Amino acid sequence: MITSPSAITERHSRSGTPASRPLLVGLAFVSLSPVLLLALRATGAAWRYPAILPSQRGVDALIAGLRGPTLVQALGTSVLLAAMTGVLGTAFGFVAGRALVRATASVRRFAAVAAFLPVVAPPIALGVGVQVLALRAGVGGGLTGVLLAHLVPAAGYLTLYFLGVLGAYDLSMEDEARTLGATPWQCFIRVTLPTLRPRLIEALLLGALVSWGQLALTLLVGGGVVRTLPVELLAFVRAGDDRLGAAAAIVLTILPALALSMLQRGAKRTGAVT
Amino acid sequence: MSQATPDTPSRTGLELRKADIAFGARRGLHGIDLRVAAGERMALLGPSGVGKTSILRAIAGLDPLLDGEVLVNGVDVSRIAPERRSVVYLHQTPTLFPHLSVQDNIGFPMEVRGATRRDARRRADALLARVRMTKFASRMPASLSGGQRHRVALARALAADPAVLLLDEPFAALDPALRAEVRDAVFAMLDEVSGPAVIVVTHDIDEAAALADAIAVLLDGAVAQHATPTVVLTRPASLAVARFLGLPNIVDGVVDGAGAFVSDLGVFAARCAPGPAALVSRADAVRVAVHTNHASRADGDRTDGEPAMVRTGVVRRVQQCLGGALVRVQLGAHHVTATISDGESPSVGDLVAVHIDPTRVHVVPVDATRTSDHRRV
Repeated sequence: MITSPSAITERHSRSGTPASRPLLVGLAFVSLSPVLLLALRATGAAWRYPAILPSQRGVDALIAGLRGPTLVQALGTSVLLAAMTGVLGTAFGFVAGRALVRATASVRRFAAVAAFLPVVAPPIALGVGVQVLALRAGVGGGLTGVLLAHLVPAAGYLTLYFLGVLGAYDLSMEDEARTLGATPWQCFIRVTLPTLRPRLIEALLLGALVSWGQLALTLLVGGGVVRTLPVELLAFVRAGDDRLGAAAAIVLTILPALALSMLQRGAKRTGAVT
Repeated sequence: MSQATPDTPSRTGLELRKADIAFGARRGLHGIDLRVAAGERMALLGPSGVGKTSILRAIAGLDPLLDGEVLVNGVDVSRIAPERRSVVYLHQTPTLFPHLSVQDNIGFPMEVRGATRRDARRRADALLARVRMTKFASRMPASLSGGQRHRVALARALAADPAVLLLDEPFAALDPALRAEVRDAVFAMLDEVSGPAVIVVTHDIDEAAALADAIAVLLDGAVAQHATPTVVLTRPASLAVARFLGLPNIVDGVVDGAGAFVSDLGVFAARCAPGPAALVSRADAVRVAVHTNHASRADGDRTDGEPAMVRTGVVRRVQQCLGGALVRVQLGAHHVTATISDGESPSVGDLVAVHIDPTRVHVVPVDATRTSDHRRV
C-alpha cells in the first residue's frame, strides 16, 4: 500500500514520529512526577522508608494546616507582591519598550544589554546588591523593599519582552488613528491597548511569575519579616514538616499553571494580534 | 491670512510653503513648495528614498516641519496636532484596527470626535454602501481580502471628512490584476465625493498620468517639476526629470546662439539657453517604417503639416509590450526607441525609415554640475 505524503504528515502531526514518543513520555514523567509525589506527600499522613506509598491517607490535617494563619497570610502576601510586580513591571516594560523601539539602534542595543543583566544575574547575587540599595533607601525589611527587589528582574524581563513585541507592532496604525482625529490618549485607549491586550496580559503574568517564585530576593531584602509562600515553604521544610511543605509547594505550582493554561486557551480563542 | 479654520474650510486645499523637512537624521528636503487645490489630485513622483513619504508625514503632522508652513484651506496648521489638521494619511498597507469590526473601523473617526456609537454606525453604513461593502459590516478586518481592506480604509478616511487626503503608495502592495480593480474603485469613489485635496505617492508613472490632475516630481531633495501630466511627460523640466520618467530617447547636442539644437540627428528648435543640451522624447514621437520608400506613409500620420525629420537606421531590437511593439533602432552613433507604423512588422536587422516628429521632441539644458545629467544613452 502506498501512503501519500500528506497522510504521513498528518499522522506525524498527530502523534509525532515514533522516535519522539519515548522522549515525550520521558518529558511528561520528569515534569509530572515531582507534582505527583508532592500530592502523595501532602495527602499522606505517614510515609516512612522504605514504603513505596504513604501508609495512611487523609486530608484533615492538611486542610487544617492550609487554613491556618501562616499559609493564608503567606499566600496573600505572595499574591499581592505578584500582582503589583506584574502591573508595575508591565507598565515599566511597556513604556521602556515603546521609547526604545523609536530610539536609535545603538541606544536599543545598550538598553537591551542593561535589561538583560538582572535577568541573567543569579538571584542571590542580585539580592545582595538590591539589599544594600534597599537598606540605604530605608525600605529594607518591608514589603516595599521586597516589591522593589522583585521589580528589578521583572523590569528586565518585561523590557526585553516589550522590545520584541513592540518591534513587531505596526506603529503606522497609531499614526493613522491620529490623523483620523484621535488624540494621543484616545489613540492609546482605543487602539494601542485593545490591539496589544493579549500581549499585555501575557506580560502581567510574566511579571507576576517572576515575583511568585522569588525566594532569594525576598529573604535577603525582606529580612525574614516579609513572609511569602516560598519563604514559608522553606520554613516548613527546615522545620521537618514535609506535609505542609508539600501542600505549599502544590499551591505554589498550581496557581501559575492554571493562569498560564487560561492564557493559552484565551490565545487560541482570540488569535495572536501583533 | 484667512481666518478660516480647518474645521470651517474656505476650500482652498493644501499649500506647502518653503518647507524644510527632516529626512531620516538629516535635513533632506529644502524649500518644498506645493499647492493642491480642493478637489484636485496630485501625484508625487520620485525615486525610492527621495523623501516622498517624509513630505506626507510632515503635512499630516506625524513628523516635524523644520521650517516653512503647511496651510490647509488657508490656515497654517504647521504647529497643530495631527488630529486637528483635517489631514488624513493612508499608509501603503491599509492598517485597519484589528479589534474593531469593519463598521466600527469606519465609525472610528466620528466616535473620537464625539459622535455616539449609534450615529457613527449609521454614517458608517452609508459609507459602506458607497463602497459596496454593506454585507461586510460585521466582519473583522482579518477576514477581508487586500482589495476589501483598501476600500474600507478609504471609507474610514472619508468618514473623517478630511480637507486633505494623503495616499502613500496606496496600491503598491497589490498584485497587478487586483491593483487595477482597486485603483479604479478607489478613484471612482473619490470622484463621487466633492472634495479633499489628494496627494498620491506612486512609483507608477502611467498611473500618475492617468489619475492625477497634476504631477510633482521630487528629485535630489527638491521639487524638480510640478505641472500637468501632459506637460511633465512631454516637456520634462530637466534631463534629470526625463531620465527619472524613463523617457527612452535622449540625444546629446548643443543649443546655439540662434536657439537651434544641433545634434548628430539633425537640427531642432529649442527654447533653452545656449549651451550643452539634450533632446528628449517619448517613443511615440518617433515612428519607423520597414522600407525607406514607406516614408510617406509614416509621415502621413502627422497632422500639423510640419515635416518630420527622416533618418535611416537599422533595427537592433524588437520589444513587445502591452501598448504594442517598440523597436530599438541604431541611427549612426545613437539608438532611439520608436513605435511602429500601422501595418509594419520590422525584424532585427531591417533597414527602416525613422521619422522624428519635431513637435513632439523637447530640448532640455544639461547642467554641467550635475553628474546625473551626464549619463549617456
